[in-house]
Amino acid sequence: MRNQLMLGLLLLAAASTQAAAQTTIKINGYAGQDPAIVGDLINRFVKPALAKDKINVTYEPLQGDYNQQLTTLLAAGNAGDVFYLPAETLDGFVATGKILPLNGVVQTGPYIKSLNTAFTRGGKVYAIAKDFNTLAVEYNKDLFDEAKVPYPSNTDTWTSLQTKLTNVKKALGNDYSGICLAPDYARMGQFAFAAGWKPFDSKGKTNLLDPAFVRAFNYFTGLAKNKVGIQPSEISQDWSGGCLGTGKVAVAIEGNWIVGFLKDNAPNLKYGSALIPKDDKTGKRGNFVYTVGWAINAGTKNKAAATKVLNILTSPQVQQYVLEQGLAIPSRTSLSNNAFLKKTDAGAANSKAIFDGAADGVVRPYYFGTQGPDWIKPINTALAAVLSGQKSSADALKQAQAEMNTFQNR
Amino acid sequence: MFKKGQSATAYLFLAPFLITTLVFFFYAFGRAIYYSFTDFNLFNTPHLIGLKPYVDVLGDSLFRRALANTLVFAVIVTTLQTILSLLMAVALNNKIKGMGFFRSAWYMPSITSSVVITLIFLWLFQRRGVANYVITQLQMYQPYILTVMGVLIVVQIVQVLFERSRQMPAGWFDPALAAVSALIAVAVTVVLAFMGILQARDVPPFDFQYFADVWLSIGGVQVLSIPLLVIIIQNTFTTIPTLMLFFLAGLQNIPGTLYEAADIDGATPFEKLMNVTVPMLRPVTFYVITVGLIGTMQMFDQVAVIGAAAPQSTLITLAYYVYINTFKAGTAPVNMAAAGAIILALIILVMVFIQRRFFPSEASV
Repeated sequence: MRNQLMLGLLLLAAASTQAAAQTTIKINGYAGQDPAIVGDLINRFVKPALAKDKINVTYEPLQGDYNQQLTTLLAAGNAGDVFYLPAETLDGFVATGKILPLNGVVQTGPYIKSLNTAFTRGGKVYAIAKDFNTLAVEYNKDLFDEAKVPYPSNTDTWTSLQTKLTNVKKALGNDYSGICLAPDYARMGQFAFAAGWKPFDSKGKTNLLDPAFVRAFNYFTGLAKNKVGIQPSEISQDWSGGCLGTGKVAVAIEGNWIVGFLKDNAPNLKYGSALIPKDDKTGKRGNFVYTVGWAINAGTKNKAAATKVLNILTSPQVQQYVLEQGLAIPSRTSLSNNAFLKKTDAGAANSKAIFDGAADGVVRPYYFGTQGPDWIKPINTALAAVLSGQKSSADALKQAQAEMNTFQNR
Repeated sequence: MFKKGQSATAYLFLAPFLITTLVFFFYAFGRAIYYSFTDFNLFNTPHLIGLKPYVDVLGDSLFRRALANTLVFAVIVTTLQTILSLLMAVALNNKIKGMGFFRSAWYMPSITSSVVITLIFLWLFQRRGVANYVITQLQMYQPYILTVMGVLIVVQIVQVLFERSRQMPAGWFDPALAAVSALIAVAVTVVLAFMGILQARDVPPFDFQYFADVWLSIGGVQVLSIPLLVIIIQNTFTTIPTLMLFFLAGLQNIPGTLYEAADIDGATPFEKLMNVTVPMLRPVTFYVITVGLIGTMQMFDQVAVIGAAAPQSTLITLAYYVYINTFKAGTAPVNMAAAGAIILALIILVMVFIQRRFFPSEASV
């Protein structure tokens, strides 16, 4: 009895020293589907590789507004060792001094250059792109078939796409619409890039009265004419992917995220994907590249372990797995010829259009400038006002420019 | 006051409250004042930079919009909720059967979470929401409604004139005659509908966006936005019952003899309300207005819930301005947020002071 007790105590002591040697790396990221996906990656790839190093990895999703939550955690010193860092809000986080520059820590060579650029400030790289997304034209094949209108294609221009949408609407009548238009810079800006507009001039100011921007703005809002285009709110949806899912709207301009949504919410919908149409005048396409990176907390106590975790999460094996599961588009250049992208099912075809979109025409990161997310508000307000018919395009843009000036002079 | 040893015990019992007040009010307030004079951005070591944050805040058009929205909101809501809750209290102070039910039913909105009510209002006032649906239905069935109303008025006039021609003292709103008129009006409408003369109109769905950048202007100055108007309706709806409770309690203390005396003098119900009830309730009214002003000046939750569903400038209030300047992505102008909060506190202080100065609460009795 006594011996057993001693043995038990010994075992307990051994176990506790082992636990003390164990390093835990905490990862912060989005809520929603991400806990399942990252949890899967951790179990499949990270834990087996790091078991011998006694490194344990946990994923803690941040509910609600990710940027606000991460800000609070960083300010309080409670943020994870490794976390998601959205490219569009990079500047605000770099200014905190809490993001570890990765130069000399991680190799950036294997990643798509424009993605590295999106995470570089003053020659320092602050994150490695986890994956990326661009926009493509997603269309409901059945509606186009029924209306006897050819599908949107990679050769479409602004006008030819508009004609197709108008014809679909004409053929199908009141209960159907050509396209869903969310009053959002993130769905309209790509047209302005194609027309030759730059979000920021050399002094960092934004000109919304630039003829190129005005032309793109008018094209986008003009799609709403005669109810060919409707806002998602008009059919009780909160994004244009939701519109496509209802089967009553022929086209939505969205990214690869729509694949999972349609799989779950409209499994029988037959859809195709095409590149964003070219501007008739410049002959170019425009596109956004949306990306989220993996960053390391400058205050981490386990820099070496955190670096190991980051390297595994961005490794070719992990990215290939994520791509083949149809979860995201990989950020490594070496995966651009992956067999998955040559498949013909709707999801893979979508991935291909999204992947190609990143390298065709004027592609700019989805980015708000140094003053943060409030930058898009004047643009979105103007889009909403014109799409709902409250204001003329000229009035709305004039007001937006005035608001933009006040904002940028703050 | 205390015997020896008692004061220590008293402080021990008070400690939880004293400590929370010290930490979360006095300490936080002191820190906010300090930050409002520094260049603090949540991550740096603060350095004193004098009044610059105040100058920045006052020069920020978003702050001025927030200030205007807050003042408009506070004045309208406080006025509406005070008047309506008083009327409701008077109505519920009568002795009617089932009064307990009405009292609890009318109190319901106050005990429901304001976040839930805001979400419900967000749905009511969606583009395809109940508000627009009801308006569409009213427009569709307008012929029926107009027929009922028209026939009712005509029949009522005819009846009253007939009664008067027989030298009977009939008022224009005589309820007995009105009931007959209503029955005839409905009957006529039903007959006309069956004969196919009356038909529902085919109207397009009423499509008003309540959460858009639409303003009611006076002389070209944007005064009140439609989204804020929705919140005003909602806020009044949810706060009336609580304030009504205060008035109800106050009404119990008014001696019935005053009303009897007024009755003997031949006062109408309205005169009794204005000359007995309102003056007697003055201390309660003072309290209700003070609580109302402070509450509305600090309004935050409804705006936060609606968030990006409406353009920011239409809804922003001072409390929300403080919030969005503190929690951004990474570094944030916390010094400006603190300066804004101090200005808000000063405004409330001044408002309550003015109210105390000009509307003394102890004037009655």
